[in-house]
Amino acid sequence: MKETKQRHKGFLRSRLKQYGVGYLFILPWAIGFGALIAFPLGWSFFMSFHKVVATTGGFSYDFVGLQNFKDAFVKDNVFPIQLIEYVQEMLLMIPIIVIFSLLVSLLLNQRFPGRFLFRAVFFLPVIFATGQVLTELFAQNAGEIPFMDQYNLEPIVQKYVGEGLAQPVLSVLGKTVIILWYSGVQILIYIAGYQTIPKSVYEAVRIDGATPWDSFWKITLPATLPFISLNTLYTIVDLFTFPMNPVLEHVRKNMFKPDTGYGYSSALAWIYFAFIFVLLAIVLRLFSSSAKRRGGRA
Amino acid sequence: MKLAETYRAASAGVSRFLWSSSVQRVKMLALGQQANEGWGARLIIYFLLSIIAYLYLQPLFYIISTMFKNLNDLLDPTVKWIPRELDFSNLRTAWRGLHYPQAFVHTLTIAFVCSAIQVAVCAMTGYALARLTFPGRGLVTFLVILTFLVPPQITIIPLYVIYSKLGLLDTPFVFIVPALFGQGVRSALFIIIFRQFFRTLPATLEEAAKLDGASAFRLFSRIMLPLARSACLVVFLFSFIWYWNLYYEPSMFLRDHYLPLSISLDRLQEVLTGVPAGGGGEALRKIDPISESPKMAAAFLIIFPPLVLYMFMQRWFVEGIERTGLVE
Repeated sequence: MKETKQRHKGFLRSRLKQYGVGYLFILPWAIGFGALIAFPLGWSFFMSFHKVVATTGGFSYDFVGLQNFKDAFVKDNVFPIQLIEYVQEMLLMIPIIVIFSLLVSLLLNQRFPGRFLFRAVFFLPVIFATGQVLTELFAQNAGEIPFMDQYNLEPIVQKYVGEGLAQPVLSVLGKTVIILWYSGVQILIYIAGYQTIPKSVYEAVRIDGATPWDSFWKITLPATLPFISLNTLYTIVDLFTFPMNPVLEHVRKNMFKPDTGYGYSSALAWIYFAFIFVLLAIVLRLFSSSAKRRGGRA
Repeated sequence: MKLAETYRAASAGVSRFLWSSSVQRVKMLALGQQANEGWGARLIIYFLLSIIAYLYLQPLFYIISTMFKNLNDLLDPTVKWIPRELDFSNLRTAWRGLHYPQAFVHTLTIAFVCSAIQVAVCAMTGYALARLTFPGRGLVTFLVILTFLVPPQITIIPLYVIYSKLGLLDTPFVFIVPALFGQGVRSALFIIIFRQFFRTLPATLEEAAKLDGASAFRLFSRIMLPLARSACLVVFLFSFIWYWNLYYEPSMFLRDHYLPLSISLDRLQEVLTGVPAGGGGEALRKIDPISESPKMAAAFLIIFPPLVLYMFMQRWFVEGIERTGLVE
């Protein structure tokens, strides 16, 4: 009796020690999360319900309830339009980026001489597709591919897509280079993903007489599904925190306007965040349900 | 009647067979047994990749070509890619306008120190999430992913206040401190990369270490971290480049004394023309031909160091990414 108790105690102690080590490893992150994410998030949530005026001693808060959120849709004549336009554009760009990077990664995954050179080129945009250099390039129109003017695509698009959708479609076409450049990380993820498919599977189906076409649809694509979902999520996050994003620019402008201030801009940022969140939730649902249908893992 | 029908069916069958076998033969020749063996498939792959590679490289060519153009070449529509004479004055202007040596040191300090810290801290956190058991691990993993989704604009004002209270503004510590606590640029992504990597290692490693009586920290620093070399390299490079190009946070936190290159580029317009850039770099600015070449020279000066770094590391980088198994 006594012995088992003691053993139990020893077990408990080793368990606790084990947990302690885990918490110790997590500690820096946990402090950072509390101080630099959770606390600021809570604060900005708090501000979004107030009219915030910056005074010399700090901020003065004036509770206004949901007024800021209401204003965003009723009073503000820029924000809802920009938000909807940008979301439309994203909905077009996300599948294009995901599919484009899938195709390029498939090509790059083939074995052919000179593959290294091409791979190096395709990872290059990761270096300068972020930040100010990109903004400068776009300011000089170097980011656009001239085919829009060359083939006079604008009236054609308007004719076939309809007035309402023409604007986002045109704007996406104008951003071809962004689509190409923002595929860098996704291509990497896909290529890393292909390495998880064992070579023997391909050999087996080849012996069974499957063509490359079959083996792509039956093996490569199902095995890549989790990476497609990962890439979709990554693309959404990447595009929504994009430096030239008009919505974020609007949020930023409102921060320093005297009549709107931090409270209002926090409310805008939260609305925007909510949109991203809903979109991500939908994508996650879609992918997990399709993975379930296949009986595989997401 | 019946005979004719049978004959027709049979001949259709034969011709279908002949047709498909000849198609098969052509396909075999062009495509090969596997998708990458035939010369036809190879040709198509090269063709497609070359076109896309050109589109990828075009902006880089544009930067280099514009950099060497003087005003005459710039305004002359017949000069497209190759300027009539190489004009190095733009580079000199950009060098001075960016305060290049100083801004370079600032950017390098931030990027190098923060990346090194990020590798260590994210590896630690990722390791805990992958291989250590403690209550709340799932919750922490969820929160890590959540932090990846928070747009920086939501937290920027509170952070500004916090950093100013701590006296970190206008010093490199405004980036080093968050990196130290696992909240640097895209730390969440790096934590997830490390987590996925550590999960692929065999469980026998821990058992062996336990038998030898090694502590958890020794196990981590002596065995796990060296094994994660390729993941470390990938994270370091990504982190370095993202810190190097960082614009939004520096534009808020580093405004006066400690200017990195991205902010200097933003202010170059002001230096060149005397007109303030107005607001932020995010708004597309009016183009004036005089500052176009120096700005591209400045852009070149900014992307040159990471480009060189990438050229030296690219082989390991690509291999590292293949080996890390970023995700499973």
